[in-house]
Amino acid sequence: MILPPYLRAGDTIGIVCPAGYMPAENFQTAVEVLQEWGYRVKMGITPGNQFHYFSGTDEVRRNDLQDMLDDSEVKAIFCARGGYGISRIIDDLDFGRFEKHPKWIVGFSDVTVLHAHIFGKYKIATLHAPMAAAFNEGEYRNAYVQSLKKALEGVKADYQAAAHPFNRQGTGEGRLVGGNLALVAHLVGSASSYNTKNKILFLEDVGEYIYNVDRMMIQLKRAGMLDKLAGLIFGGFTDMKDTTIPFGQTVQEVLRHHVKDYDYPVCFDFPVGHDKENYALKVGVKYKLAVTADSVRLKER
Amino acid sequence: MNRKSFLRSFVPATLGVLLTRQLAAASPRSNIIPSSFPPYLKPGDTIGITCPAGAVDNAELRNCCKVFEDWGLKVRYGKTVGKKWQRYGGTDEERLADFQSLLDDDAVQAIIFARGGYGTMRIIDRLNWDKFCMSPKWLIGYSDITTIHLHVHATLGIPTIHADMSTSLSPKRGMSEQSLENILFGKPVAYIVKGNKHNRSGNCSGILVGGNLTIIQACSGSGSDISTEGKILFIEDVNEYKYSIDRMLVHLKRAGKLAGLAGLIVGGFTATREKEEETYRLSLEELVNEKVSEYNYPVCFDFPAGHVRNNLALKFGVPYELSVSSTDVILNEKSLTQATAG
Repeated sequence: MILPPYLRAGDTIGIVCPAGYMPAENFQTAVEVLQEWGYRVKMGITPGNQFHYFSGTDEVRRNDLQDMLDDSEVKAIFCARGGYGISRIIDDLDFGRFEKHPKWIVGFSDVTVLHAHIFGKYKIATLHAPMAAAFNEGEYRNAYVQSLKKALEGVKADYQAAAHPFNRQGTGEGRLVGGNLALVAHLVGSASSYNTKNKILFLEDVGEYIYNVDRMMIQLKRAGMLDKLAGLIFGGFTDMKDTTIPFGQTVQEVLRHHVKDYDYPVCFDFPVGHDKENYALKVGVKYKLAVTADSVRLKER
Repeated sequence: MNRKSFLRSFVPATLGVLLTRQLAAASPRSNIIPSSFPPYLKPGDTIGITCPAGAVDNAELRNCCKVFEDWGLKVRYGKTVGKKWQRYGGTDEERLADFQSLLDDDAVQAIIFARGGYGTMRIIDRLNWDKFCMSPKWLIGYSDITTIHLHVHATLGIPTIHADMSTSLSPKRGMSEQSLENILFGKPVAYIVKGNKHNRSGNCSGILVGGNLTIIQACSGSGSDISTEGKILFIEDVNEYKYSIDRMLVHLKRAGKLAGLAGLIVGGFTATREKEEETYRLSLEELVNEKVSEYNYPVCFDFPAGHVRNNLALKFGVPYELSVSSTDVILNEKSLTQATAG
């Protein structure tokens, strides 16, 4: 496992939108705050650019990300937003230079594709963390955006979370992998999939039908991704939708059902996901997960 | 001498069945015709109804029972007809047991599923197919039932029927009822349908597989995952956002499902959520065509099968000849002699 170098004051962070379109006013604050944190900011072409749903054609988005990957000045790439579109370009990116000079890739949601691909193929750590929208409305001061600042500086993570009645107690240690459930399921069978044995898997999602969550968990299970984990972290499953004939269970009940036959520690409602509560997590790095009757602790090793 | 007659002449019955099963398991990886074929129906045969996914009540089955009666078939209701648990036709255990019992019932020559929805994937891995392998029967359905089409093709190589299910059939005798009756009673599939200006012309032949796109990509990496090498892939879906259709096609592509096709048949993509997704500008045809632009095989759109009225029944798991132009599309089942000849 390769850790990209942590950032120092004066280092350059490149900003891209590798998937969905984002208007300039939505990432303005993030740019300013990153500068306040002491970094130089290099804007790619895709932030603010629009090609109907996307921030550019596949070619434009690929070139923008490729340039940032290859730019020796850029020490971290901050994805301003997710949306959909990275899996359209992932197979056309050249990670040759990046492999020799790794840098932090920051983001979540659609960026799960990059986390999976880079961990799976290159064993380089990446940062699952808040993106530009999280900085808006003064929220950049909250513990979650601040956890991104700390992660970039090299501070080791040590997070506490509230207990949940469905939690399964225990401790486990392993490399942390995962991200958005829909994307993790989407990558099954592709070149970006990876082995989850002895890992701590974390999953979050937003705006999905509960029956879809059920189906995606079945897909992960049938692909062997729930077997032999060191631990499993369910983050936010927010804005869940239900069909006219209700599914009949809450999303947490669905998730719990799919892990009931294993014995590794499991926690629910961990602060990672599409809401404000979204701690920065280093994908590929070893953590210890401790789930007790009254608390959950995730500590970077 | 072809494989079938070799087996018949030299090998005792039980061993023949075992070999047939091995061959059937081997056939999805190549393009040999299936060696294990459900017998076509004749009047007096029995069709069973069970709920592997959504629930159904007796009243909803009155129409399809009239249709089966017209065809001279007896109907056997499984225990899940009339059952309801959350959004399913019974608990997982009840649906599993009911499906299993109809699979194993010698007195039932075909099973038509009550309705789709969601739920088949929750039970598919716990079914036992041994008896079904020895005496296969027609399995009929679409949408969520795609899980069964894929699973049976991937593990057994036995043909199944993609068609309307119990709650959609009506004695008013449209194309969907007529086409299903034709297949069940042994008439080879021969369709000519309207072309589409986005079609990519060409001719091909191959075994027809596929079904609901969401289910096909959801089975990626599982025991129901099919190989599409050299095959004609049929896809349909309903109520999806275009970015989601896009993502599912990318999934298929990255899982190697689009590269080696003989041909691609795009059926109904109904009720796509275009109004809610104004910014996604690609049309369905554009987003499909860009995924397959580097290949040469024929591609056709608007094939009348899927969540559409007059859902044309398709026999999956057998070889066809497909001829595509922008004016029409011809899909003909290859006869056994044609198929074994090459």
